[in-house]
Amino acid sequence: MEVPARPAGPPSPPLRARHAASRLVQYLMLQALIAILCIFVLRQPLPEPPSNLLVSSFSLSDRGETRRATLPDFVPTRASMKDPAVFTGSFAWSAREADSGWSVYLPRFTNGVVVLVNGVEILDSRRDPSANRADRATPEIAVIPTTLLHDGANALVIRLFVWGPISGFLDKVYVGPDASLRRYYERRTLLFVTLPVVFSAWQGILAVILTVMWTMRRADTAYGVLAAAMALGAIQAFLPSAIDQPKFPELNSTLLTAAPIESACVLAFGIRFFGRRWPRLLGPLIFLPGVIVALVGLFGNPVLTRQLFLYLGVPAILLHLLLLALIVGWSEMRRQDVPSLLLGCGVTVVLTSIVHDVLEVAGLISDDRLFFTRLSYSAVLVAIGAGLTFRFAQALNRVDGFAAHLAIQLREAEEKLKASFAREQERERAAALARERARLMRDLHDGLGGQLVSIVALSERNTGSAGIGDAARAALKDLRLVIDSMDDIGGDLMLALASWRDRAAAQLRPHDIALDWRAVPPGLPVYPELRPWHVIQIIRILDEAVTNAVKHAGARHVAVSIETRKDAGGEQGCITVSDDGKGFSPEDDTNRPASRGLRNMQNRAARCGAELELSSGSSGTTVRLQLPRRFPEGDAAAG
Amino acid sequence: MTSSAEQVPAREITILLVEDDPPTLWRLQDALAKAGFDVAAAPNLAEARASLAGRAPRVLLTDLQLPDGHGVELIRETRARLPDTEIMVISALGDEETVISAITVGATGYILKDAFPSDIAATVRDLVAGHSPISASIARFIVRRTQAGAEPPPGPELNTAKLTPREIDILWGIAKGFSYAEIADNLGMSRQTVPGHIKSIYRKLEVHTRGEAVFEAVQQGLIKL
Repeated sequence: MEVPARPAGPPSPPLRARHAASRLVQYLMLQALIAILCIFVLRQPLPEPPSNLLVSSFSLSDRGETRRATLPDFVPTRASMKDPAVFTGSFAWSAREADSGWSVYLPRFTNGVVVLVNGVEILDSRRDPSANRADRATPEIAVIPTTLLHDGANALVIRLFVWGPISGFLDKVYVGPDASLRRYYERRTLLFVTLPVVFSAWQGILAVILTVMWTMRRADTAYGVLAAAMALGAIQAFLPSAIDQPKFPELNSTLLTAAPIESACVLAFGIRFFGRRWPRLLGPLIFLPGVIVALVGLFGNPVLTRQLFLYLGVPAILLHLLLLALIVGWSEMRRQDVPSLLLGCGVTVVLTSIVHDVLEVAGLISDDRLFFTRLSYSAVLVAIGAGLTFRFAQALNRVDGFAAHLAIQLREAEEKLKASFAREQERERAAALARERARLMRDLHDGLGGQLVSIVALSERNTGSAGIGDAARAALKDLRLVIDSMDDIGGDLMLALASWRDRAAAQLRPHDIALDWRAVPPGLPVYPELRPWHVIQIIRILDEAVTNAVKHAGARHVAVSIETRKDAGGEQGCITVSDDGKGFSPEDDTNRPASRGLRNMQNRAARCGAELELSSGSSGTTVRLQLPRRFPEGDAAAG
Repeated sequence: MTSSAEQVPAREITILLVEDDPPTLWRLQDALAKAGFDVAAAPNLAEARASLAGRAPRVLLTDLQLPDGHGVELIRETRARLPDTEIMVISALGDEETVISAITVGATGYILKDAFPSDIAATVRDLVAGHSPISASIARFIVRRTQAGAEPPPGPELNTAKLTPREIDILWGIAKGFSYAEIADNLGMSRQTVPGHIKSIYRKLEVHTRGEAVFEAVQQGLIKL
């Protein structure tokens, strides 16, 4: 069957309903097709020997009455085993045919036959346990010893024993050369005797597998009841019938009529396996007919047991199968899985067969006494075997998938843990730095800072020591820079530049130099790898540029411009400090302070991986600091 | 920062300067006196208290480390007793430790000890006009405290619960180095109002009394009434 493709998202309710309806129609059509196929196969006539070997005309003596009978014929059930219906006929034999052995072939009869030729018994089917079971269409063949035959007409007497529950039946009887009859016998034997034994063996194996499964997984009661069903079926198939004088006749007849219990077990399996909750009140009811038949078998008489089996057991089996078909069909609608589909088809095959057999026994369709229910049950057995194997393979796949999924999850968790550990370490490092900074700040504030301020104040009172004052002020500024750079700015250089702006503006104000500050939004990129020593280097470069503008260039304006350039390689921050002073020539004497400052700036830029460009002319000096895309980890040029 | 909305004649502004380091005291006193302010000086806590008992200055400038006590006490007392007096802390480094602890007890500004004389005078004038100074690093410190974190960064205690989102935006702008004009344009407000906001921010960071502490505890859900 074509499984309809699932839509990507949850479909809207009307669409879903239409979808479900189309699925149902498809499923029902498939089952109908299977049923029609079954009926076609069941009604297919079996090959028969040539009609010239047919012995058709018999005189039937049944319970004191004698009438003419044409086979196939029926006789009513009787209570006594000692009162068979006797079919008397004759066949012609020629001495010319003495070389080829002749046989009597009986394709089908219920329940037992004794065949006599010329008054000598050549066959008693009651000694064949398989032939004694009405549900198996066991054929019989018997070779007629040549010495019994004489030229011309030979007497053929068939005694038909009937022990119910259905009426006696004798199909057409053939007498002729064994060579032409035996292959028809063999074909029937293969179909009605050997095949059922093969399937019963298969059922036995299933019983063992399921029992092991249930032993290992006690919670899966579905496997337990199915194992019970399989065991019952396998046992009863190999039991002798009541006619064979078994050791424990009551137990024997009970087991022989255990089919309703078996079908109830299969139904219980269906309920549990396909995910329905076990109905606590109604559930045990499905076992009731089987139990009643079994109890009557244990304590009542065999005839009553057989009657009860026919009128209570068979309808119960039919009902169980119908319920199972519904459950499996519902499961197939809901899940569309292979086990449901397989079992659904199997149940349909059995249902068709049992309806066929019941109609036959009831005389509603032409009756050739060929019962297919047991045989067709093998379809269910095959479906169960295939479905269980499918489920098993699926479970294995799921386990593999789960293991792989687990490995992935484990790896993810590990990575997350590592990342969180790194984050924690980073946080601890930042906290330690902040604590250290706070301590340092307090110490510097109380000691060095105050002393430097005193120096500044003293130098101002003494006009001759302006140099000392400048030096002290520079020392204070640097102190503030060191403290500031230790603050955790989270890689945002703009925060450090903002503090520097305050200090630079304070430095320029006494000299009447304006500071033009231009930060093009969004400022600079964030550098997660930025460390305090990077910040100090950059700020000192900028300080140097501003100091040059104040001391050597005689500038009136200092402009600071901050921007980020985007190119193919990503974002790159750039800080430009320009003044409108008189400028200087880079080729000047290298010992001059301006040149020394310039060399310092280049060194600092190199240590941070930044590029420094300096251009100077009569209209002013421009220092352009191109920041790296990533700040270097270690301070390679620190020495 | 140097703009002042209204000019009060410097002569009418009385200042009490509390500083124990003589050179620094002379320096600040000179700078302020030359700008025309009426300056009184005290080298320690006891003399400062005596002076404050005599007359209420318009502005109190005080160092924190004093030989007979801590400037924080003086600020708290003055703030409680003389609400009209503007208070500034004198700091060597302008670090948040000093400035924030002074602000939480009632100061609304700070002066760097080595600031140039003209800057010192301008800062006092601005303060009297209602404009408090703030540095980028102080703004950064306050903003950082407004951000929820597992553990507060080290430094003085600070309760930023009363700050409005707009005030936090202004602080962010200052921390990032934007000028008042740029901040005002960006936030869609008048440029003249930004300096006033700074003072308001300082006022909100102040922890006044026991009663206020209870109020804040209730606000933050620490106490249930």
